[in-house]
Amino acid sequence: MTSHSSTHAAGDDSHSEPGRVKLFVIIALILGIITALEIGVLFMPVIDPVRIAMLVVFSIVKFALVIFIFMHLKWDRLFCTLLFLMGLSLASGTVTILIHVFKVKDSVPLTSHASITAPAQLDAVSRTA
Amino acid sequence: MDDTALPHSTALHPAVPAPRLWRPKAKTGLVSWLTTVDHKRIGIMYGLFALFFLLVGGLEAILIRTQLAVPNNTLLTAHEYNMLFTMHGTTMIFLAVMPLSSALFNFIMPLQIGARDVAFPRLNAFSLWAFVAGAIILNIGWFLKAGAPAGGWFGYSPLTSREFNPGSPIDLWVMGLQILGVASVAASLNFIVTIINMRAPGLKMMRLPVFTWMTLVTSFLIVLSFPAITIALVELMMDRLFGTNFFNVAKGGMPILWQHLFWVFGHPEVYILILPAMGVVSEIIPTFSRKPLFGYPVVVFSGVFIGFIGFGVWSHHMFTTGLGTMATAAFALSTMIISVPTGVKIFNWIGTMWNGHLRMKAPMLFALAFIWMFMIGGFSGVMHSAAPADAQQHDSYFVIAHFHYVLIGGSLFSLLAAIVYWFPLIFGKITSDRWGKIAFWVIFVGFNTTFFPMHFLGLDGMPRRTFTYDTNMGWNTPNLISSIGAYMLAIGIAIYMSHLIYAYFKGPKAPRDPWDARTLEWSLAAPIPEYNYAVIPTVHDRDTWWYEKQHKEEIARERKAHASEEAAHGGIHMPFPSYYPFLACVGLLVGGLGVAAVPFGHKLVVAIIGLVIALIGIYLWALEGNEGYHLHPSKEELES
Amino acid sequence: MSNHSTAVTADPHLDPTTSTGIPNKKLLLWAFLASDCMFFGCLISTHLIYRLHPAPDNIDPTKVFNLWLTSGSTFVLLMSSLMMALAVNFIQKGRIVAMRWALAITIFFGLIFLGCQFYEFHNFVYEHGMTITGSIFGTTFFTLTGTHGIHVLIGVIWLTSMLIYSFSDRFSKADAIDIESMGLYWHFVDIVWIVIFTVVYLLEFVR
Repeated sequence: MTSHSSTHAAGDDSHSEPGRVKLFVIIALILGIITALEIGVLFMPVIDPVRIAMLVVFSIVKFALVIFIFMHLKWDRLFCTLLFLMGLSLASGTVTILIHVFKVKDSVPLTSHASITAPAQLDAVSRTA
Repeated sequence: MDDTALPHSTALHPAVPAPRLWRPKAKTGLVSWLTTVDHKRIGIMYGLFALFFLLVGGLEAILIRTQLAVPNNTLLTAHEYNMLFTMHGTTMIFLAVMPLSSALFNFIMPLQIGARDVAFPRLNAFSLWAFVAGAIILNIGWFLKAGAPAGGWFGYSPLTSREFNPGSPIDLWVMGLQILGVASVAASLNFIVTIINMRAPGLKMMRLPVFTWMTLVTSFLIVLSFPAITIALVELMMDRLFGTNFFNVAKGGMPILWQHLFWVFGHPEVYILILPAMGVVSEIIPTFSRKPLFGYPVVVFSGVFIGFIGFGVWSHHMFTTGLGTMATAAFALSTMIISVPTGVKIFNWIGTMWNGHLRMKAPMLFALAFIWMFMIGGFSGVMHSAAPADAQQHDSYFVIAHFHYVLIGGSLFSLLAAIVYWFPLIFGKITSDRWGKIAFWVIFVGFNTTFFPMHFLGLDGMPRRTFTYDTNMGWNTPNLISSIGAYMLAIGIAIYMSHLIYAYFKGPKAPRDPWDARTLEWSLAAPIPEYNYAVIPTVHDRDTWWYEKQHKEEIARERKAHASEEAAHGGIHMPFPSYYPFLACVGLLVGGLGVAAVPFGHKLVVAIIGLVIALIGIYLWALEGNEGYHLHPSKEELES
Repeated sequence: MSNHSTAVTADPHLDPTTSTGIPNKKLLLWAFLASDCMFFGCLISTHLIYRLHPAPDNIDPTKVFNLWLTSGSTFVLLMSSLMMALAVNFIQKGRIVAMRWALAITIFFGLIFLGCQFYEFHNFVYEHGMTITGSIFGTTFFTLTGTHGIHVLIGVIWLTSMLIYSFSDRFSKADAIDIESMGLYWHFVDIVWIVIFTVVYLLEFVR
């Protein structure tokens, strides 16, 4: 493809082959280490919100490493990144809104665990929503 | 499509020849249409299928209105009525208005950006035939004993669960929509790549014709909203086929989830139906006002903004389900916000006409009616955004009046305008302006007679989806008026269709640029050669063709230079037609019918046969490659 | 545009420089992946919504999940992504043999992942009695991870087809864009799993 050369002309470092291969291997190692750390977090003696935050951050870091390095977004035209982030942000927005809508007290089904065991919790749920 | 250039064509000889796959040779006749990859032929077929289904959906509507003309009517049974309104909605949305927009996207958009075809011509053929496969699956119920789908176009759970709807109709509906989704997404991905990557030199994004801009926004809406209904349909299908619990209340499933997923798709879908119409009107009004579009960037960004916010308003379809105060308020607010860019566009169209030299031709009348009718639909739409008011209007005829004002008064009027407007370019014939205007007035009066009384019916409490009503409800007169209007509308559509058919066979030959228009596609004379542009144009201005008409010498010099440049590069590359997209869609059809219509026990076998056919099609498609041949336009063609 | 031989590629009309400089296929893939984000977004929403309101007869997920198996298969999938990235790098440099090896290892890792998933499903159904019809948790879990598994399977089939095709004499460096597009799909399947691993598996052990 003729347009290829132009696509990759934007690449700055690691243009030589050993450089790129080395970078990929390092990234893979980091991904592996993060996965191990994620398991470690589960056994850490800290409060849940901290652990949840750590897990979410780890997952976002892994996600970003794969799309920017392995999927070449770092070296590609910005438009590819914007295109993908548009889908990603709409999807995340939809997930967030859906979950919040379903958190509301009115949405809790009468058959659910929560409404059977602890009706009082529902008020707490609806307050946080 | 006469191939005057064909004698000059030379086959392309790659260094390593492709394996000898079966390649269609026919240039005319049925096989050539089944295997074509030409965006113009595909567009015409989309249009013909869409008009056919418009008539089918119209017939269903006429039956509905006949049933409701008088109280306690027994023309239809309740179940027949359910089938009719379900299929009327599904047909009009997925098989008439969307493909009619698709037809225009296919035919007009590549011409407007100065391209020779879409980015992936065979994928485009696949989209068309997948659409046809989905349409067949949706409608085949009419010919089966179990009947057509009868769960409403929205298919609310648990109405659609096996418990309440045990037969094949809902399965047909699910598979039909699923395959139509594949078709729409494939087509839209194609359009996105085409518009972003295949623009003629000089055609910056902010020089794109508004119709092309709206094609782009609509394509993004399709690509990003259809996955939601795909998932919803997958879940429903899993429930129906494998007995899973997504919408099964007994095991903790929540039917309300279906409504959410459906409207996450369903509301962007509304904009998928109206944005192309806005694009069309933004082309027609400047042409017939002989002025550039007023506030072009604002029109474009309003369209983009509508598309984006369109994803954040879905729950206004569900105000009465008990979302909680916070969600209701938020969705009411976002719904009010989305009406702002729409209003902005209306001011832009009025601003375009202000001080223009208006020419009241038939397309202009339809476009003007669009603005007015769409505004009425918009006003009742804003009324719905107020949640307390909506609680009263919900599921009443008021809602029917509202969305028919935006779908017929909006989308359909503008599509009818588009067909008359681009008819000379597509078929090379001039339609009768007189009969076009007569058709317009009959349609306009018929439409308003049908749907305006429904506002009052709704406010008087007549609920949707009831197959009949009692004499003493006070609904008799408006219903009768409405039914008379429906017949008038049908007569109007008949006049409209006849005047098109007459023009096609007997109409005078169209000159180039009959409307003295502004955008690039009008620089071509019908019939358009299969390569569209003998020389790829260079774009100097937003209204490209208008600019070219004012700067003839400069353009002629430029064309000459470009022509010799292109000839030096080996002429025009054209893709070969292909059997395989069609074959893959045959597989989809067989597989879809296998899952939906075949009795349990045989489903798997037929579905696998369909899958295998589709896979064979896809593999051969990949293997045949995108080789093509070269055309060398003759001297006259280059200078025409 | 799968089968450009070098002679054809030299012809600028077969591969016109695009308006943005992004190859058409790459743009198509990125737009498709944006769409697929919504696809998995809706599926994950469904799972999370039902986790928010679990039915009383739901199985406690922490009792059935095998954390070591899942993190192992996650690691394998991440490594397959590495091999895929290397394969793209090799073909762009014209090293077809190296690319074949990288593709073969990618496929191998993909198959290991699928094997782990098969074992996991088998274990859930026969050891823990958790079926797709038995509870709402089974329904959403099997559908979500199964849909991801089907994506992996499609990826493996695509990779295998491409590996076989790479032995044809029509295959050349000019096909790098096809390998790259396939790679984008494969990495996407990987990032979806990154999200599923955290949201479906790990977070269960926290709350």
